[in-house]
Amino acid sequence: MVEIETEPHRRTIPASAQLGAVAWLRWRMFVNSLRSRQAGGRKVGGLILAIVLRLILWPVFALWVIGPVFGAGYVAWSAIDGHKPLWLLALLAGICFLWQFIAINGSNIAASMPTFEPSSLLRFPVPFGRYVLLRSVLGLLTPSTVVGSLALLASAVGIGIAEPRLALMALLALGLYALMNIYLARMIGIWLERLLAGRRTREIFGGLLAIAIVSFQFLQLGRPKHTHESWIIDATMRSAQAMRWLPPGFAADAILGRGGLLAQFGNLLLLGAWAAVFLAGFTYRLHKQYLGEHLSDGVNNSPATARTQHRSVAEPARKRVGSIAAAERPSVPPGVLPAMLRKEWLTMRGNTGQLIGLVTPLIFVWIMSRGLFGHHPAYMLPGAVGYAILTPMAAVYNIFGPEGPGIQLYLLAPVRMRDVLLAKNIASTALLSAEAALAWLITVKASTTPIPAATQLGTLLWLVFVLAINLALGTLRSIQSPRKFMPGQTRQVRSAPTSRTSALLVLAVVTASLMLQIPVTRLSRNLHQPWLGVWIFGGLAIAGLAGYVVLLSNVDTLVQRNRDVLEKELCGV
Amino acid sequence: MGPAIETAALTRRFGDFTAVREVALRVEGGQFYGFLGPNGACKLTIIKMLTGVLAPSSGSIRILGQDLTTSSAELKRQIGVVPEGMALFGRLTAREYLRFVGRMYGLDRDTTGQRTEELLEFMNLAGEDKKLVTDFSHGMQKKLALAAAVIHGPRVLFLDEPFEGVDAVAAGTLKAMLQRMTAHGVTIFLTSHVLEIVERLCTHIGVIHRGELVAQGSLEELRAGALKPSPPPRPGEELLTREAPGSRTLEQVFLEIVGTERDGSTGARAPEELSWLR
Repeated sequence: MVEIETEPHRRTIPASAQLGAVAWLRWRMFVNSLRSRQAGGRKVGGLILAIVLRLILWPVFALWVIGPVFGAGYVAWSAIDGHKPLWLLALLAGICFLWQFIAINGSNIAASMPTFEPSSLLRFPVPFGRYVLLRSVLGLLTPSTVVGSLALLASAVGIGIAEPRLALMALLALGLYALMNIYLARMIGIWLERLLAGRRTREIFGGLLAIAIVSFQFLQLGRPKHTHESWIIDATMRSAQAMRWLPPGFAADAILGRGGLLAQFGNLLLLGAWAAVFLAGFTYRLHKQYLGEHLSDGVNNSPATARTQHRSVAEPARKRVGSIAAAERPSVPPGVLPAMLRKEWLTMRGNTGQLIGLVTPLIFVWIMSRGLFGHHPAYMLPGAVGYAILTPMAAVYNIFGPEGPGIQLYLLAPVRMRDVLLAKNIASTALLSAEAALAWLITVKASTTPIPAATQLGTLLWLVFVLAINLALGTLRSIQSPRKFMPGQTRQVRSAPTSRTSALLVLAVVTASLMLQIPVTRLSRNLHQPWLGVWIFGGLAIAGLAGYVVLLSNVDTLVQRNRDVLEKELCGV
Repeated sequence: MGPAIETAALTRRFGDFTAVREVALRVEGGQFYGFLGPNGACKLTIIKMLTGVLAPSSGSIRILGQDLTTSSAELKRQIGVVPEGMALFGRLTAREYLRFVGRMYGLDRDTTGQRTEELLEFMNLAGEDKKLVTDFSHGMQKKLALAAAVIHGPRVLFLDEPFEGVDAVAAGTLKAMLQRMTAHGVTIFLTSHVLEIVERLCTHIGVIHRGELVAQGSLEELRAGALKPSPPPRPGEELLTREAPGSRTLEQVFLEIVGTERDGSTGARAPEELSWLR
C-alpha cells in the first residue's frame, strides 16, 4: 500500500510553481478541447456538416476581428494626418465602449466554451497577491481583450505612419490605455457578478442587454437628416470637453503632446491613476471572494432547502393520492401529455431570460418594418416572421438540454418518448406561434401598403412548413446531439442553448426556407397567379407535417438507439 | 496533540435566515471525526466555512491552532478536501489533473510525478490515460477527487460522502488508507449518511440538526447517552428506546437525537400515514 506522507509545510510555495501550473492547466485544457468526445461514433455526414459550417463560420469570426482592427488603424491615421484631434478622442472612446460592451456579453460566449471558473483556484493555497495576478492574467485571450488590444495596436501603428515622431508615445499611451480597459472590464465584470447574483436579476439583465445589442445596431437610424455624420461622432465631439478628464481624453492628450513633455507625462500618470482605480475596484471584490463571500444563489440552495424542509416536516399532507390497491397501474399512464405540458409551462414561466429574449427580435422587426422592408410587403411579412422565430427556434434543436440529468426520469418512467417530445414540441410551437403572431401584427401595422390576402395566407402556410421541418430536424438533433445547459447561468456551466452546429443548422434551415420566398413570389408575379404561393407552401406544409409525424412515430426507437449519448451528455460532469 | 479543528460561536446567516447557529466544534488532532446530520442540516455550509470557502457571519475558526481568517493560504496547504460537486476539471486526464493539483500545493515536479503515479495505481485509475475526467463514471471521479485531496499529504482532511459511488473493493482500500492516515496523526472530518461506515471508522462524532450542534463526543459517550437526555418515547418506535443505552447502534442514537422535534413531538410522518400504503 502506498503511504501518504505528511509535508512539513514550512517553505512557501514558489509563485513560479503555481503560476506555471495554472498556465499548464489552461494549455492542457485547450489541447484536450481539440479531442472530440464523439470522434469514434460520429457519423461521416455529421462530420462533413460540422466542417462545412465551420468553414462558413471562421471567416465571419475573422471579419469581426479584422474589421475593427483595420478600421481603428485607419481612423487613427486619418485623425493625425487630417489634423482632426477630436477623431482620435472619439476613436479611443469608441474602442473603450465597445471593449466593455463585448466584455460584458463575453461572459456568455466564455460560458459556452470548455473552460473553468477562475474562482475555483481559491481552494488551493494561493496567497492573495498571487490570486490577483492570476485573475488578471486569466482571460487575456477573451474576444474583447484580443480585439480591443489589436485595435489599439493598429491605432498606434496608424498614428506612427501618419506622424512617426508620435509613434513611441502612442505605443506607450495606448498600452496603458489597454491596461486601463482590461481592469475596467474586470472591475465591471466582477461587480456585475456580485450585483447579479440572483438568478432572476441575472435573467432580466441578460434580456435587457440583448435588447440593447439590437437597439445599438440601429442608433444610426436616429441621425438627423441634414447631416451626413453619425450622431454618435457628433455627440462624442460635443462631449469632448468632459472626456478630457476621462481615460480617452488623457490618452489622446498624451499622444497629441498638448502642453509639452511634462503635461504629456502628467496625462500618462493620470491615465495610470484611472487604471489603478479600476484595479482597486477589481481587487476589492477579489478580496471579498478570497475571504469566502457568499455570492451565488447556488450556495443559498442548502439553507433554502433546509428552510423548506423545516416547513414540510411540520405541514401535514392534505391530499390523498389513492392507494396502490385501489388503482390498477396501466402499462402507459394516462395524462402524460397534460403533465408534460404543465411542466413545460412552469419551466417557461420561471425562465425570465428566455421570455425577455423573445422581445429582442420583435424590436428588430419593428425597426426593419419601418426601414428596409417597409415598402416590400411581399417579402416583409415572411422576412419579419422568419426573423422573429429564428432565435427561439434554436431551443428546439436541443429540447432535452435544460432537463440535464432529469432526462433519466423519461427513460425510466413508463412513458412513451413520443408523448414527451410531442408535449415539448407543442409548448415550443405555442411560443413560436405567439412570437410569429406578434411579428405579424407589427408588420401589418407598420406596412405602408396593405398586405394582400394571398401573401398572408401563403406566409401562414410557409410558417407551418418552417415549423414542421424545424421541429422534425430539431427533434432529430435533440436526440442525436444533446447538450446540457442551464438557462440563466452565466458562468460555471455552459449556457448556450444549442451547440454551434445546431445553431448554424437552424440558421441555414430558416434562411433557406426564407430564400424560397423569392422565386415563389417572382413566379407568381410573372405568371399573374397571386395564389400560387399558397398552393406551393400549402403542399410544402403538408409534406413537412407528414415528415414530422413519421419522425414522431419512430421517436421511441430513436431514443433507445441514442440512449447512451443522451445519458452521457446530459447526466455527465 | 491540541485541537485540529476548533470553532467558537460559529454562525452563518443568509439574509434573515440563520443557517448555522453558534456551533462550537472541537476535533482533536489525529481523530477520525464523523459529522452527522439529516439533509438540510447545514453540514456542507459548515464544511465550506471550515475550509475557507465561505466566510462565517460571526464566530471564529481555528485549524491546527491558527486562525483561518488570518492565515488561510498557509492553512489551505495543510487541508485536503473533496469540494462540493468534486470540482474536477473535466477537460483534463486523471494524470494531468493530479499533476496540476500537486503543483498548486507546492510539491516539486518529482514528488508530484511520483505521488501521481502511486495514487493512480492505488485508485485503480492508471489504465484510464486516454479518457478525460468528464468521461469518467461517478465512482471514478470520486476516487480521483479523493486522490487530489490527499496528494499533498494534508494534516486535516475533509471528506463529504467519500465512498458514495465507489465500488466495494476500492472502498475497502480507501478505508484502510484513511485509517493509516489517522495513525500518522492526520485528522479526518467525515460526513456521511451511511451510519455503518461512520460507526466503523470514526472514533468521535458530532451531530448537527437545523444548524445547531446537538451532540458531540466519543462514539462510546454517544452510545451511552451521556451527551443528550433521552427524549420521550415516540409512537411506533418503542424498540429503539427500550434497549440498554450502551448497546445501541449509532443509527439508533442518531434517530433518537435528530428524529424527534425539540418539543418532543415526532418530526417525520409514520409510513402508515401515507395514503397509498394504508
